[in-house]
Amino acid sequence: MRSPKPYDAQAAPLRPLLAKEIREIVSGRSLWTMLLLLCPLIGYSFFQAVSLYSESSSAALQSPVLANSLSPLDGILVPTLGSFYVAVTLLFPFVAIRVLGHEKESGALRLLVQLPYRTPTLVVMKLIAVVLAWLLASIPALSALAVWRTLGGHLALAETSNLLFGHLLYGTLIGALALFAASIAESAATAAIIALAVTIGSWVLDFTVAGHPGLLAWIAQLSFTQTLRPFEQGLLSVGLVLGIAGVIGGCVALASVWLPPGIPPHQKLRRSAPCILAIAAILGAATQAGWSVDVTEDRRNSFAAADQQLLATLGLPLVIRVHLAAEDPRYADLQRNVLSKLERAAPKVSVSLVGSRQYPATGSGEESYGEVQYVYGGRSEVSRSTSPREILPLIYSLAGVSQPSPMSGGEYPGYPLVVSADVTLLWFFGALPVFIAIFWWWSRHPRRFDRSLMPEGGPS
Amino acid sequence: MSPIEFAEKSSVPLLCINALTKRYGQERAIDRVTFSVLPNEVLGVIGPNGAGKTTLMETAVGLLAADSGELLWRGERLLASRRRGLLFYLPDGVRPYQDQLTAEVISFFASVYRRSAAEIDETLTSVGLKPVLHKRVHTLSKGYNRRLLLALGLLTPHELVLMDEPFDGFDLRQTRDIIGVLRHHAQRGRTFVLAIHQLADAERVCDRFVLLADGQIRGLGTLDELRAETSLPNGSLEDIFLALT
Repeated sequence: MRSPKPYDAQAAPLRPLLAKEIREIVSGRSLWTMLLLLCPLIGYSFFQAVSLYSESSSAALQSPVLANSLSPLDGILVPTLGSFYVAVTLLFPFVAIRVLGHEKESGALRLLVQLPYRTPTLVVMKLIAVVLAWLLASIPALSALAVWRTLGGHLALAETSNLLFGHLLYGTLIGALALFAASIAESAATAAIIALAVTIGSWVLDFTVAGHPGLLAWIAQLSFTQTLRPFEQGLLSVGLVLGIAGVIGGCVALASVWLPPGIPPHQKLRRSAPCILAIAAILGAATQAGWSVDVTEDRRNSFAAADQQLLATLGLPLVIRVHLAAEDPRYADLQRNVLSKLERAAPKVSVSLVGSRQYPATGSGEESYGEVQYVYGGRSEVSRSTSPREILPLIYSLAGVSQPSPMSGGEYPGYPLVVSADVTLLWFFGALPVFIAIFWWWSRHPRRFDRSLMPEGGPS
Repeated sequence: MSPIEFAEKSSVPLLCINALTKRYGQERAIDRVTFSVLPNEVLGVIGPNGAGKTTLMETAVGLLAADSGELLWRGERLLASRRRGLLFYLPDGVRPYQDQLTAEVISFFASVYRRSAAEIDETLTSVGLKPVLHKRVHTLSKGYNRRLLLALGLLTPHELVLMDEPFDGFDLRQTRDIIGVLRHHAQRGRTFVLAIHQLADAERVCDRFVLLADGQIRGLGTLDELRAETSLPNGSLEDIFLALT
């Protein structure tokens, strides 16, 4: 029975380890409690979203012009999944911490780290189990989308998939953070405090410093709450995905450094330094990777198709100098209506905020405040407008090209829907929780014991 | 094993622990502890609570960082990173994966080490775990939890297994049964280091003894060697321990 050689870490199968991690997370109460809490939370959000959408649709049915402003992405998906986001932020850390914190508290970690697996393998398997737990926890949210379709609602595949992908990344990010917190904390309770301090701290950061210029603006960008916004706006940003993946990878690496007992803290600190530098480098690279795709059906993040095509042909650098403070609402308008779209449409666009100031107390200020200068091919123009209807012709004029003719077809029709969501409350407050409770009971029932696990002559 | 067989097989130490020291702040939990473990023996680390037995074992396997000292495996230096491939340590007071079925925990370890159904069956039978395979670990009695841990340890392929208080939670008859199991595995080529605070149990199971008190070794050898050292020709291990500490 004894092997003559040391057991090789490469030879150890991963399947039993992953199965153990999944059993560990599914056998705990925290996942099922979260699922049961999510049912009414998501259900009520969905009910309210459908009610408001129906009210707006009623008006749109009288006036078809209003119909094209009715998008299920804004009206249904974002608010419904918004409650899921809150639950993942506040509750999911408790689920994720269990996969490591429980082993620490029970002493099983001392057995686990002696098994023939490398520490990163242990952490990655735990993260996979956490992601699977997130998928399980997303059942109420996914059922809301199915209910919406059943009610006759419209879902665009690309924008829906993009939003769900964003939530998956966010859930994985929270899970990785929780694992790292569990690896440095002695108890699950301490780990939960650390994880919540980061997630709730992100909210505080977002509320207090967002919209401020300079360093504060950069710090606000680090807030976890920022991660979902582009996805909610229908953008798939490569830089954002890279940044989130980098932080997830960094948390896994840091957890791998801090998990093994028997290594002095100063050594762990020293080994953490390269991980932190790598995270910083990836975040830096992510901020430079500006490529993003507008996946919305109404193309809200893009100019008209003819403009997009023409702007893509501008080969020279387009330099835009904005004489506005970052917190000025006009800058926000300009950014949303023009700059962000231009950066995706034209190949070489650089935008700089020039340090102009206005002094509200005296009403005085630099004369140029509010101006936006556009430079292309050695020619420049200045405008104070924040509307693409004025700015695009100006850019075409600088480039010496004529304004394109609008393309016919492809108009977003809008998807008004007047429907009552009352009956859906029965699903979210009744049937779904009952199904989940039954499944929970079934998963814990002793008859689940599989005799095939054991050789012949199992339990008597 | 006869004394001659034992002497022949025990000529080259399997593991040498040299001047191992572990401090907690200013207090030395173990202080320059040095001894060897011979192949196929059952070595008892004997000492009262607080003597440093657990610290010694956890430092030896790398679960605690040593302040100084080294380990040699068959004469070659054993780095901390290689220890888990050669040594396996069963800690005391662990109740692993409490919400899982006992069978699932056994299955996990057996699958990791690719144990055959026959090997699993033999292990479960030897430690008497079969009656509780369908129970969740948190519902097991202290004795059955100890049997579970023993089964996990015996399912590992390691040549040297260190166990902290392996008889804790067993009555006299159960302790005798488990001693038989360990002896059987030792005869088949395994080596055990057992931390035991009950001297009567230790005397029954161990070939040699390391007597530990206040983190320092006070005696080392077979019972006869220790009797000669203390001039107590008919002394029990308890008498010897009291004489040396």
